[in-house]
Amino acid sequence: MELFRLEHKKLWRKTSVRVCVLLCFAYVVIFGGFLTYQWFEFGSSPDLVSHSFDGYSVIRSQQDQAASYGGVLTDETFQRMVADYQAADAYGDKVKMDIIDWKTMSSYLNQLYPDLKNDSDIRPVYYYVDTRNLTGFYERRQAALDTFLHSQGQTGEEGAMLMAMNDKVAEPFRYEWVRGWQHVLGNSLADLGTIMAVFVAIVLAPTFSGEWHNNTAPLILTTDGGWRRLALAKILCGLAFAVELFMLVAVGGITAQLIYLGTSGWDMPIQTMKLLAVAPMNMLQAEIYEYAFTLLGVIGFAGVVMLLSSLVKSNFLSLLFSLAAVYGPMMAANYLPASLQGVLGMLPLVGDASDIFRTNTFHIFGKYIWSPYLLIIVPVLIGLVCIPFAIIKWSRRQRT
Amino acid sequence: MELSFDRLTKHYGSKIAVDRVSATLTPGVYGLLGANGAGKTTLMRMLCAILESTSGEVFFNGEEVTGMGAAYRNVLGYLPQDFGYYPHYTAEEFLSYIATLKGIPRVIAKRRIRELLDTVGLLGAAKKKLRTFSGGMKQRVGIAQALLNDPQVLILDEPTAGLDPKERVHLRNLLADYAGDRIVVLSTHIVSDVEAIADEVLVMKDGQFILWGTVPELVRQANGKVWELTVPAAQARAWEKRFTVANFRHEGDYVVLRIISDQRPAEQAVPCRATMEDLYLYHFGEEA
Repeated sequence: MELFRLEHKKLWRKTSVRVCVLLCFAYVVIFGGFLTYQWFEFGSSPDLVSHSFDGYSVIRSQQDQAASYGGVLTDETFQRMVADYQAADAYGDKVKMDIIDWKTMSSYLNQLYPDLKNDSDIRPVYYYVDTRNLTGFYERRQAALDTFLHSQGQTGEEGAMLMAMNDKVAEPFRYEWVRGWQHVLGNSLADLGTIMAVFVAIVLAPTFSGEWHNNTAPLILTTDGGWRRLALAKILCGLAFAVELFMLVAVGGITAQLIYLGTSGWDMPIQTMKLLAVAPMNMLQAEIYEYAFTLLGVIGFAGVVMLLSSLVKSNFLSLLFSLAAVYGPMMAANYLPASLQGVLGMLPLVGDASDIFRTNTFHIFGKYIWSPYLLIIVPVLIGLVCIPFAIIKWSRRQRT
Repeated sequence: MELSFDRLTKHYGSKIAVDRVSATLTPGVYGLLGANGAGKTTLMRMLCAILESTSGEVFFNGEEVTGMGAAYRNVLGYLPQDFGYYPHYTAEEFLSYIATLKGIPRVIAKRRIRELLDTVGLLGAAKKKLRTFSGGMKQRVGIAQALLNDPQVLILDEPTAGLDPKERVHLRNLLADYAGDRIVVLSTHIVSDVEAIADEVLVMKDGQFILWGTVPELVRQANGKVWELTVPAAQARAWEKRFTVANFRHEGDYVVLRIISDQRPAEQAVPCRATMEDLYLYHFGEEA
């Protein structure tokens, strides 16, 4: 424990570690959180190009507007939503048009009511659609889902499994302001792991290779069981750092989210965000999943980085291989068939947390498994498997 | 207590770094003297059981040291050449870290660290980061870490490297004080350090012990091989080409040369008393 404490202190003493943590925090929490809410994403945009520094009040207005539809998504409320937009358009009320969640509205119309689209009108469909025709929302969603699964070849046992999941989604949907959750679950959290990978790699790549750099092997080897206990302390320290960095970023991100978005809409089903999702999850559950996905991915990645660090004597090579372990498969996936992309996705921080909105599955030993189950578990297992190999490899290298 | 090694050999490919050396060391200070590349560091690493020998074994009190494992490491203190450290640690933290690696309980370690920092004259710099230390200060931290577990066998590879004359004297006194009933092996190519402190000197060349004995015994071997010769300054370089010259001393238009040679170099050459440095030059003259 004492060795872990000292190793941990040693890690946090490094200027490079502090700078990495600061940059990661600034990027994710300050830029990706506070400034995005207040300015880049939610600030009002009268000229549709730049944003004003008024995100907080814009978000409140949009939330109030969404709440005015009674908290449930039915044909009637959807019709009212579209009608309100059209009325605001007719009056030239740009402010009102901005606070209605037209992006979500547009997504519903495009997916469920393609037949109402007038090809001779270049405007988005919500400008002109006859709201009286916006009926059968849930029947249309069911039909769209059937069509989608068929088009993906997801029929038979696989299709039945996905449909069984979908059957558990309560209808009619709870409805509040969706766009905020869309930002949290679709953008910021989905990319969190990819960003953290850079900083985790920089900090942990020298875990073992750094000892060669510092030329400390002779000292360590002449201590009582030093290398073994030290290797364990280093591994624990690396994992602790991964968790600490995650906690720092997560707490910062959640704080910004609570300040700007509050908690309203936490119990909306994720289908309000992605109509063709089948998972019976609400926004809060989805957020917990995405945070857990990132945390376990970061832990798994930390294990991989430390293994790579034990395999080479150069900090630079260790960092290079660590970054390649994430970004290499990501790049390669673009050129591979979907099945192989799925396999690569199980590598730590390579997969996508937003698979909970998709219907991807893995077919293993004759069973269909919904992809998010494996995508959250396998990366951390890979990392944990790497740990004993890192210890063994390092100890062998120390003795030669 | 006894540290012995028998026909200890280390090959690096076709190069023989240490060639069948044997010795039995009992409590006292042993100076390992030799030019760079003589095999001192390789021998010391094998004595510390951190480098496997190609053949031959090292025994502590009759037990083979690699088989002893932690039991041997518990009685061992080692200062490696180019000793590695963590620049972001303070001296106190670094020693705490090593003490923990050595399995010394925290309370005991804390007291021991203060004592050792005081001993090596770094108590005032205990809270300063190692990256701010001079070479000599770092070397003193290295010596302190080697002494942390109060080792019975202390192996110091070039401990005086980077130390100023005052620090060297301080270290020599410290080691002389410390030795007592312990085995201290130190390597150096600074002859005066060995001369001042070592009870016995082992001179290494090409991986072998070429000489072994107390300083007076070894110096005696050089007696009759050291000469002083006064020559015109203009001829000094010519004499240097013909003989190993230990020293030049200018006296007006003349130079007094201290020449190491089996034969009297000239009629007017005067025999003089040998030192360890003369002996060293006698054996390593062409390399020095």
